Amino acid sequence: MNAFSKHRIALITGKGGVGKTTLTAAVGRALAASGRKVLVTEPAYSETDELPLARLLGLEPNPKGYVPVTDRLTYTPLRARTGHETFLRTVIPTPRLIRAALRSRAVARFLIAAPSLHEMGLFYHILTLLQREESEGVPAFDSILVDMPATGHALALTQLPEILLRLIPSGPIARALREGQEIINDPERGTAWVVSLPLQLPVTESLELIEGLTESQMHCSGVILNMMPRDVFDPNEREILARWCTDHGWIGSHILARSADATASVERLRQSLDRPVLSVPRVRNVGDVDAIVRDMVDGA
Amino acid sequence: MNHDLEHLLTSKRVLVSCGAGGVGKTTVSASLAVHAARLGQRVLVVTIDPSKRLAEALGVARNAPTPVPVKMDDLGSGSLHAWMLDPQLVSNQVVEKFSKTPEEAQKLLNNRIYQNVTAMVAGMQEYTAVEALCEFVSTDQYDLVILDTPPSRDALRFLDAPVRANAFLDRRIFNLFIPSEGGLIRRMASKLVEQVMDVTFGKQTRVDLQQFFVLFGVLLGHLNHNQAEMQRFFRANTVGFLLITSPSELALKETDFFRRKTEELGLRVCGVVLNRSLAVDALLNIPNASDVSSTLNDKQKALLTRFRDEATIEMETATNHAALGRAIAKRNREPVWVFPNMHSQVVDVESLEKLSQQVLSVVDEA
Repeated sequence: MNAFSKHRIALITGKGGVGKTTLTAAVGRALAASGRKVLVTEPAYSETDELPLARLLGLEPNPKGYVPVTDRLTYTPLRARTGHETFLRTVIPTPRLIRAALRSRAVARFLIAAPSLHEMGLFYHILTLLQREESEGVPAFDSILVDMPATGHALALTQLPEILLRLIPSGPIARALREGQEIINDPERGTAWVVSLPLQLPVTESLELIEGLTESQMHCSGVILNMMPRDVFDPNEREILARWCTDHGWIGSHILARSADATASVERLRQSLDRPVLSVPRVRNVGDVDAIVRDMVDGA
Repeated sequence: MNHDLEHLLTSKRVLVSCGAGGVGKTTVSASLAVHAARLGQRVLVVTIDPSKRLAEALGVARNAPTPVPVKMDDLGSGSLHAWMLDPQLVSNQVVEKFSKTPEEAQKLLNNRIYQNVTAMVAGMQEYTAVEALCEFVSTDQYDLVILDTPPSRDALRFLDAPVRANAFLDRRIFNLFIPSEGGLIRRMASKLVEQVMDVTFGKQTRVDLQQFFVLFGVLLGHLNHNQAEMQRFFRANTVGFLLITSPSELALKETDFFRRKTEELGLRVCGVVLNRSLAVDALLNIPNASDVSSTLNDKQKALLTRFRDEATIEMETATNHAALGRAIAKRNREPVWVFPNMHSQVVDVESLEKLSQQVLSVVDEA
């Protein structure tokens, strides 16, 4: 669990279907159990969408504001609108203009319909979460975990500042983006964890993702291999078991192939990366957060 | 392959694969395409930004301006083409097609905001996909076009895309940015908006935005007209929607929601695919160490026990997956198909074909 407590903010990223949401929930709960004040969050794309992380934590499907989950664990959805509002408040000098801008339905629709501006709102919302204080000088949260969207553009949010800065090179949006970039890209404060599966192809994709993160100046703590087989057997054992399967007509040799794949995945990541490679054992029911938290706490 | 699924592949002209990111939508689409070609159909599979692996599996390069033939042996009358859609490319074609003059088209193509338009405008990727799809269907070059929808968080994104693109391609938004003429009050309001935009975006970006909206506004009428046509196109009974999902606990909710939504929109769901299911190979038979003849020494027995433990977890998971398949079938009139979890990974046309041959139907037992 120590690996997670170094940074103020951790982006949990990876391809769709690898278990980011489940791991965000599990790590959040385990971190909170270790005594830290934790905030877990995920982007909400509309006012009515069901939010998977909220659901996994046993909350109502579309919560608003800050929702306590356990003693030290809080959940809040990331909303572009919140970000836009706070942003406009800081850049527009007169309240009259802010009200006019926010009240204009055309402006609201424009901000939602243009995805990079939408992401910009999310980005700004994250900034305000980082700056939130419990009392003066005491941050409201020790750790913020963000369950990143799996849009196929895993880098979307981390590359956003750069893309937007190309579009909007100066002015207050540009300033806010640079300020945000500074915190998120500071390896002491911000990091990303890449969630992956112990299979050849997902590992390749994760290595590519880490390269992309590094290029966009994002610190990456390491890889979490989800759904590791509980027992991987050594090569010698695999050979014996495979022979038994052939000799006796037992069905199940694909389990051994997967074990070999898992061992090779860990090896490959360790060799290619100078960072921790954590693994989370497979649980019987996908999304069984309780079981994963038990494994994490026991393992620590 | 499964009979119902083969019927679908030979009776529809368009199949749209919908599904959340990471469920294996592209793989399933490609696998269906390979199979349909084997059945003698002239097939095109259109996909947006798939993983490198699939491009390699099909032997298709990125950024090809037109569909590329996929090599398969002994196809008879069938054929398979694949195309990786580049949204910006299609969008450029739309601009060239609908602009009044080539000069105006060029001006828009050169605009900094436009150059990021497919990233900037929600629903634009989907819009271009549909634009390309209509084009392909109208040429009669293919018996079946399979559209793999763009990656998204949930399966419904694609269905909502016209609405979201509309939200952006809305006169009111355009008018907001276009410097207005007219009476004093309008000009003052417009000045106020400019002021707000100058402080938020910076002046240069505001000017670029205005130019973009003025130029793009010209195309607006055509796009909206096109969208109405597209909506009609999707309601035809030759078009079917497939929901692809993976065996997670969210699958049930997702299928319910998808069915409701498609009904609302007047679209036809023709089936649900439960991908990466372990249910297909549920019949493991690794014995208990105590049931095996005593020729095993203690060390070997311990090894067998560990192996059996793994097999037990596997079988429990498989049982859960099978139950999930039945639960989905029970709540849907449409057929449910199970695609197996390919333990060896899908790397070429051959493995895509093998995947399609292992598809099973889930029959509601109740």
